[in-house]
Amino acid sequence: MATVAETTNVWANELLLNGCQAVAQGVKLANVDVIAAYPIRPYTEVMDQLSKLIADGEFDSEYIVADSEHSQFEIVKHASSVGARAFGGSSGTGWMYGFEALVVAATDRLPPLFVVGNRALDDPGAFGVEHNDALALRDMGWLLCWASTAQEALEHVLIGYRIAEDNRVLMPMALAMDGAFLTHSQHMIKVPTQEAVNTFLPPFNLGKRVLHPDNPVSIAPQVNEDWVMELRRQNWEAARRARTVIPEVYKSFNDLFGPRYANPFFDEFMCEDAEVVLVGLGAVAMPARTAVRRLREQGKKAGYVNLRWFRPFPTEQLRATLGRMKGVGIIDRNFAMGSPDNGGIVVQDIRSCLYPLTKRPVVTDFIGGLGGRDMSIADCVRMFEITFDAAAGQQRDELVTWIGLRE
Amino acid sequence: MATQLPVIDYEKIKKVHDAPLEEFYTSGHRTCQGCESAMVMRDFAKAAGPRTVVTGATGCMYVANTSYLTTPWIVPWMHTQLGAGGSSAVGMAAGLRALMRKGRIPKEKINVINFSGDLGAGDMGIGGISGALQTDYDLLVIMYDNESAANTDIQATGSTTYGAQTTFTPPGSKHRIMQRRWKKNVAAMLAVGHPTCRYVATASATFPALDFMNKTRKALSIGGPTFIHTFDPCPKGWDFHPRYAHELGELGVKSGIFPLYEIIDGQVVYTYDARQKGRIPVREYLEKQGRFAHLIDEDVDYIQSMVDTMWNEWDIPGVAPFKAGLSVAG
Amino acid sequence: MIKRVEVNYRGIFQKTLGKYIGGDIVQIASRMGKVAFSNGRYSDSPERNGIPCKYFAFVSPDLSEEELEAECGAKLDIDEADVSVVVDDTMVKGVEPWGWHGVRAINEKLREKGCLLVTSQHSHDQLLTFIPKQPFSWRLATVEGPASLAGLWVYKDDLTRERVLGALAAVDPGIISIEAVESYLLEKTKDKHRAEAARASYDATLRNMRVVKAGEGAEWHHEIPRLPTWKEFESGGVVVPAVPRGFTMGPRGQSRNERFLRGTTKSHRPVVRFDLCIKCTLCWYDCPDECFDPTDDGLYDVNYEVCVGCHKCAEVCPVPECIVMVDELKFDNNDSPWEHHKRDPQGYIKWAEEKKGLERIHYPHVTGTGMEIREGKFVPPKPDKGGPAAGAKA
Repeated sequence: MATVAETTNVWANELLLNGCQAVAQGVKLANVDVIAAYPIRPYTEVMDQLSKLIADGEFDSEYIVADSEHSQFEIVKHASSVGARAFGGSSGTGWMYGFEALVVAATDRLPPLFVVGNRALDDPGAFGVEHNDALALRDMGWLLCWASTAQEALEHVLIGYRIAEDNRVLMPMALAMDGAFLTHSQHMIKVPTQEAVNTFLPPFNLGKRVLHPDNPVSIAPQVNEDWVMELRRQNWEAARRARTVIPEVYKSFNDLFGPRYANPFFDEFMCEDAEVVLVGLGAVAMPARTAVRRLREQGKKAGYVNLRWFRPFPTEQLRATLGRMKGVGIIDRNFAMGSPDNGGIVVQDIRSCLYPLTKRPVVTDFIGGLGGRDMSIADCVRMFEITFDAAAGQQRDELVTWIGLRE
Repeated sequence: MATQLPVIDYEKIKKVHDAPLEEFYTSGHRTCQGCESAMVMRDFAKAAGPRTVVTGATGCMYVANTSYLTTPWIVPWMHTQLGAGGSSAVGMAAGLRALMRKGRIPKEKINVINFSGDLGAGDMGIGGISGALQTDYDLLVIMYDNESAANTDIQATGSTTYGAQTTFTPPGSKHRIMQRRWKKNVAAMLAVGHPTCRYVATASATFPALDFMNKTRKALSIGGPTFIHTFDPCPKGWDFHPRYAHELGELGVKSGIFPLYEIIDGQVVYTYDARQKGRIPVREYLEKQGRFAHLIDEDVDYIQSMVDTMWNEWDIPGVAPFKAGLSVAG
Repeated sequence: MIKRVEVNYRGIFQKTLGKYIGGDIVQIASRMGKVAFSNGRYSDSPERNGIPCKYFAFVSPDLSEEELEAECGAKLDIDEADVSVVVDDTMVKGVEPWGWHGVRAINEKLREKGCLLVTSQHSHDQLLTFIPKQPFSWRLATVEGPASLAGLWVYKDDLTRERVLGALAAVDPGIISIEAVESYLLEKTKDKHRAEAARASYDATLRNMRVVKAGEGAEWHHEIPRLPTWKEFESGGVVVPAVPRGFTMGPRGQSRNERFLRGTTKSHRPVVRFDLCIKCTLCWYDCPDECFDPTDDGLYDVNYEVCVGCHKCAEVCPVPECIVMVDELKFDNNDSPWEHHKRDPQGYIKWAEEKKGLERIHYPHVTGTGMEIREGKFVPPKPDKGGPAAGAKA
């Protein structure tokens, strides 16, 4: 069956854009109403680009230069509360500075979208990618996903708003992208037409939750032990429903724009007959896929899982894919010092996801690329080799291997 | 990107008998007996009327007012975080402006009001309020100042009167006075630093009668970002019988310790000109509060001397602590 | 065995008193070789002036610290009370500490044969006109005297604390004995009169304890609200409807928060002589709880369901004897006083004066520094019952 993409023109043009500029195009196409900006490398260019688009009259949005990330995020949250589609973003410690506002955006059940240009946390100050900033959201009732290309970043602004604003969900959405490698690398990006976007993404309607004189409500009155458990359970329910809404939205996206996403939650690369896979988030997908190809040339059944959605966590889907493997290696571009095995954050969730299986793959963890250090094809090959060895029963002193560390 | 909107042209309320009867903040809030901050809530809501959206920062007027998923608010109200008073107002105003411009909601003047306590507005959130006062949005931030973190059972803030007992500044056998900071001059600081902000005022909730309501209306009518700092005697933390809540506010104003004024387009207008009307000794104000029970004469004299300086030596008495004689270095 | 004591007190005004009594019980019981601990009901916090609050003490002669903590600690409220102490008798009308809690009976937690120990100047029978009946028998005792009200910084050392401890030993020596109370007070304070006050209170309480039979007491009409399940309010979550806009002239004409009335915060209520009113509006204007309802004749009805008894209206009223604060226990309903006045102006004046009596409580500014009883007077009604509209000041 022909998709709409084949029959009508849903792509306006192809532009040379970096990750930040691609996000800005997505925000413009989403006809965002309120943008609040505050500078921090590397996400800043999203806001640079948006202010220029507004200055040039390419689209119409309130654009506020905030006095801090806390104010920036609060402006976004409260703009959302009056029914405006709102956008913010940050990186690294800036993200952490505004964290309080992020927490309440979720418990208030408001659906703005934030971009996180992943950056190492201070001290010392470092500009490079590390995923701890965005991963700090993992228990906060947010939708959290990673784009691994600039094209995906643009498309996930649209997909993100559609999921977040679905009245079965109403959760804030964080779109993470690797600082520098993704935010600042230019590619030819296909930009959808405004008509196609309008078809895909309906106007934001907060319904009975909107703060307006015609809808007199009180939002978030103080509670104590009498209410908190019920409210948390309601948040949980929204996250549970998001697991259903996400595939629906991707299907609708694929129908309109072509079969771009086979699996909404993660991309499987040569996983069908694989025995060992690496799992990673973000731009490391590129060297990892190349490594897969090289190992395949040697006859090794390697595969790569590019994990896109971290919250809600795709538990069932990952069990189905990873449960077939002999070995699974997790690339954690983050650290969770003092955690079980002193590894990363992602491995903890994947281990507990796989634990109920009667036949479990061997899971090993890699810490690498911190602060933006290279993750090369050779690094990925090495991670595969270690995972193959572990799957073959080789005992190791450490369950976690640091990749690219000067030793 | 500003959108021209119709203005609600509020008339000045001339007599108490003309004050609006209808409440937009109503009974059933868990505030203390004799709470003057509750008066501030009641009066700004009454003065602004129904076409209003409100955020309340964490503090007494959040926790006490909306305890246990109940609400006394008739106008739409939302909680905001302790330091987010200014930014919450900007967010609402920006959202409403964009939606009106894009034709998604009807064009009308909707009052955007935030209230934050002295801890929220004067300390933690002052950067956000400063940011808000630099915008061109129509919004009003009210700092209700009960001179402590009253919700957490009375801790000192930057707005606590010198010498006052709080749970962070208890008098002790070695240090009689732990609260050694002079009260932060928030309204004037904001006025001085934001020359495009057209209206900054101070007020006491109930003295002079109607004053705060009329200042609220003036702020909303003048438009742009505006700021009012209210002086709210707190029976709990200041330790006086709730019966005297109104009187304490009046004494604070008449002793000159809390000056009442408006700054309209840069022009200072005294609401209660303590220079002309004379000041009562601050002792008459201090001695009626348990929080000052440990002060000795020299402490009271010190406070009096600071208040005297404020009124006698400042270039703009009671408002800005600059002294005349514009000298040139070198 | 566990003995459980709750102290019902007025927020802030009696915060220190409640905590002291709880702490004293622990220290005295410990001296007697028992295991004990005390805590406050965390949900009452942050306390507000006058709001009903609770402090607890738990004592066991035979359990370990861990077992006692396991049974009684980490709980929102007490399971049952062997003794419910009430340090302001107006709370016998019921207590509503917060929203969705409802007005609760003061003896709600009292177990069979337990004792309600009330600081009061009223008789047992008077108190029993407010305290609901129970299906079992229980005991009522009073410590004679006014409610000891203090402030956050000034503790009112008027021996209420010592007298409550003495009375507690009388109503349940299984918790603390009078000898232990005396020796504790003597050792701790070196003040003989404190121990003597406790002993005198002990003796008086033994003499005047009253057994309340099953079924004896008031009917109780307040319902406890049912909290919805998570699914029942899921579409709203943290978003709740505002109080609906609504105002008409006259009694109950203003819409109000129905989930929390908080009228049980008051120890006194304003009684208004409408015939003396000059219609200056100040009672209404200065009320922080929006409890005055404007009426067509320029008067202001009082909604006693929501009045919290702050005394502010009485203070700002410029007319002597027009608004007077009266002991809450003199009233058995929250009916509209204005309707009473309209129905029967002369009868209302008589009623109001009867309630007012001639004693006027006068508090100094700083709470906890005492109170003064002054003489009131009867102001005869003016020929023009409505009072002159002229002379109203803005």
